[in-house]
Amino acid sequence: MGLREYVVRRFLQLIVTFWAFFTLLFVLFRMMPGDPTSMFILDGMTPEQREQRIAELGLDQPLYVQYVEYIRQLLTGDFGQSFIYREPVTDIILIRFMNTIVLMGTALVFAYLIGVTFGALMGWWRNSRFERGGIIVTLMARSSPEFWVGIVLLSVFVFWLGWFPSSGMRTTGGELGGGFVARYGSLDFLRHLFLPALTGAIVYLATPTLLMRSTMLDVLNADFIEIKKAEGLPERTVLYKHAARNSILPLVTVAAIATGAAMGGSVVIETVFNWPGMGREMVRAVNNNDYPVAMAAFFLMGSVVILMNFVADLAYVYLDPRVEYE
Amino acid sequence: MSTGTTSPIDSATSTIGNGIDYVRTKLEVFEGDRLGQIGLATLFVFLVIGIFARPTTIEFLNLTIPGIAPHDPGERAVGGRLESPSAAHPLGTTDMGRDVLSQVIAGTRVTLLVGSLAAFMAVFIGTNVGLVSAYFGGWVDDVLMRITDIVYGVPFLPFAIVLVAILGNSLVNIIVAIVLILWRSTARVIRSQVLSHKQRPYVESAQAIGAGHLRIMYRHILPNVLPLTFLYAAFAVGWAVIAEASLSFLGFGDPNMLSWGEMIYNVYTANAIREAWWWVFPPGICIMLFVMSVFFIGRTLEEVVNPELRHQE
Amino acid sequence: MTLLDITNLKTYYRAEDGWVRATDDVSLSIERGETVGLVGESGSGKTTLAKSIIRLLPDNAEIVDGSVAFDGTEITELTDSELRKQLRWSEISMIPQNAMNGFDPVYTVGQQIVQVIRYHEDGTSKAEARERARSLFDELGIEPDRVDDYPHQFSGGMAQRAMIALALALSPSLVLADEPTTALDVVIQDRILETIKKMQKELNSAMIMITHDMSVVSETCDRIAVVYGGRIIEIADAETIITNPRHPYTLGLRNAFPDINDDDQELISIPGTPPELVDPGEGCRFAPRCPFAEEACWEVTPEPESYGDGHEVECHRADEVELLQTEAGKKETWLEQEIGRPDDPTADRATAEVESDD
Repeated sequence: MGLREYVVRRFLQLIVTFWAFFTLLFVLFRMMPGDPTSMFILDGMTPEQREQRIAELGLDQPLYVQYVEYIRQLLTGDFGQSFIYREPVTDIILIRFMNTIVLMGTALVFAYLIGVTFGALMGWWRNSRFERGGIIVTLMARSSPEFWVGIVLLSVFVFWLGWFPSSGMRTTGGELGGGFVARYGSLDFLRHLFLPALTGAIVYLATPTLLMRSTMLDVLNADFIEIKKAEGLPERTVLYKHAARNSILPLVTVAAIATGAAMGGSVVIETVFNWPGMGREMVRAVNNNDYPVAMAAFFLMGSVVILMNFVADLAYVYLDPRVEYE
Repeated sequence: MSTGTTSPIDSATSTIGNGIDYVRTKLEVFEGDRLGQIGLATLFVFLVIGIFARPTTIEFLNLTIPGIAPHDPGERAVGGRLESPSAAHPLGTTDMGRDVLSQVIAGTRVTLLVGSLAAFMAVFIGTNVGLVSAYFGGWVDDVLMRITDIVYGVPFLPFAIVLVAILGNSLVNIIVAIVLILWRSTARVIRSQVLSHKQRPYVESAQAIGAGHLRIMYRHILPNVLPLTFLYAAFAVGWAVIAEASLSFLGFGDPNMLSWGEMIYNVYTANAIREAWWWVFPPGICIMLFVMSVFFIGRTLEEVVNPELRHQE
Repeated sequence: MTLLDITNLKTYYRAEDGWVRATDDVSLSIERGETVGLVGESGSGKTTLAKSIIRLLPDNAEIVDGSVAFDGTEITELTDSELRKQLRWSEISMIPQNAMNGFDPVYTVGQQIVQVIRYHEDGTSKAEARERARSLFDELGIEPDRVDDYPHQFSGGMAQRAMIALALALSPSLVLADEPTTALDVVIQDRILETIKKMQKELNSAMIMITHDMSVVSETCDRIAVVYGGRIIEIADAETIITNPRHPYTLGLRNAFPDINDDDQELISIPGTPPELVDPGEGCRFAPRCPFAEEACWEVTPEPESYGDGHEVECHRADEVELLQTEAGKKETWLEQEIGRPDDPTADRATAEVESDD
């Protein structure tokens, strides 16, 4: 099978996965105990208003019609109206989604940059004090839920040292408006970003670090490393260009899983730091029975993870010339 | 029935017996592994605290074992509001005047419960899915692995929040939510392990003498992948505890079962995070220590499953 | 003119129960353009000896004594960076046993050849280096365009040729070939060996050919050193080692490999396994497996004895050459029961001796 066929097949798989995910969402949000319509109906409506609202929402239709209609709406990016904000869900969620991506993206990039370097060095200097200490520190970070790391950082850097603001995205507000640069392009924003991003980086650091270390140990035993040393290449070249470059392959696959963890983790980190993102919005929406918003948030998070899995598979093929497209 | 066949119960007991023997011999790896020993010791302490947290009455003996917790964790005003640590309340009090130490001790139970139950069920499901998927292959494998892929596409916390919101926030529902996601990694790993065992001569010879599918799967292959299952169970305990703590922290915990995560949620809702460090840090540190202990144990088990690591380290 | 001069080299590995004497008091010198074979079983220390020359040793190994002089430079005294820049690959390169694993799988073979050329030659452009890789491929019988292929796209024989191209890219004075053909089938083996010989002649490179295969060294080497238990126990020109060896171990090795000219030859293997090299103590290290061992062999380590024309043997009974050669050709001689120290109650059989070492 050629590369092109592989990509096409993987793409078809992606569509099937998305369809299954859509269906899961539909089932979940229609699984409410009692009258499935009750949560879409606000108190204090007259019976006529009720009827009209149910018809509006299409809830009087048979389930399969609702299902088809639901898929149609998802594909057109129409998530309906928020019960609380009384605005289109898309408007509410998109900007918060951006805020989340900026925060968790920063966290993941740092987690991977630091983790890969750290793990590579741990493998290179095996049996050293650096390696042993590194393993303990990494396991400590991995054993801490996001909210705990966040609280420790808050206590130290905000409550005790007072170096950073405790919550939000900007001192001046305006977190949900303005253009990209206006929102993210200031020192004030970076000061707000630092602690929540660091929290994510610390928690997600462990997986790439430990994985990098163990694959490094495997790769360092390979014959070609000895040849590269015999070629007289500097240690740095052998370490980064050959040993680390080969060890990075399994990390690509894990990156997709890390994105999933980060999407879920955003819910916690944003709550701790009061970050105006999609995760915090989701908690709020669920607590207020604002199901269209909760569903849209869930939908976006899942979509990011599924897409990342797809990208990771393709990236792997690109990075490892040995892959045969089975 | 012909001679020489063992009853299912016998074979089950012998399988379990073999498993236990196996674990016993393999426990030797903890010798000389400092981290593993620390993990075991810490877990043991938590276990004792969890079991004897509250007074236990054994009815027919008319015997009451006193609990470790000095107070009822839910009782209000055993001390003043938000008192810092003192001799009477070594970890201070909450905004309602509850004893923090007692809450931490009582929270151990919830953690043990969630950790062991969720991990057991997740690994049970994962092992079976992996085993069936790899053994039968074909469309069975396709379907089961697609389902696993899809579960990999579901971010845990959002899913659990929605599920708990729908089903109600009880400990059982929290465990269900955790299990529904957590089985996926075990399934994938066991599947790949079983795939390699399927090719080995012992499976072929079992097939040759006419052993049934169930017998080959559970009698012949399963014992060989069991060490990996134990390893994943150890890690699953850690992840389950983290998951429960996070859910409780977000306010989706079981209101009747005070857990460490929920304690921190209470600090947040009481707006006391800035001042009441004695209320925040003990549960947080406990979560970290507990999860670390199972991860340390897992790491040691990893060396049993993958002996090459032992030479490398 | 002497290119490499190894004197009294000792390379030991640290183990839990002491030093493993993988190379123990070895002297060997090699002329320019000469090919020397190092023959011995696996575990005999032949690879450690070769790798000591470029100090390509694992962390737990150490050159504890002796000298390695390469073209007048004392290698044991170079700093790491001097060693890398002046000697490795530019003067001394190597061909590993399995070429497929010798290339980094994520780069093309051409990229790897270009990288090493450009690292060692400041003035060479990428295009020039690539051109050299292509012409090397051409000479070695590989389609030049295949420099752009990844290692996994080569067959075993082709990968080995590509590895030779890599090894010769900087026209080194010495090539260490570690079992360069063991992984290949016999027909390809011969062609690869021919290619190596041809290229080596053109460049006038010396070579150390490490192998356990007597037939490989007999075809390719000028001189052969037989390695056992970390020591060179016999060394001479190839002709002498094949036709007129004096050490029982060499005789035994010769028995274990088919002679192309003799169809009726019976293959006889040497019973037992190579000795553990942790504190081996006094006595000949081959004695436990030697059918000719006498009392002295167990007590006194034999010194190298010269038999003219550079033929040196470490054996107490090397003078009884006729007896040894006749007896060694008989299968009965090498039966396990016949070997061992007769009057030593603790180890009266070869197998017992070997097992007690484990």
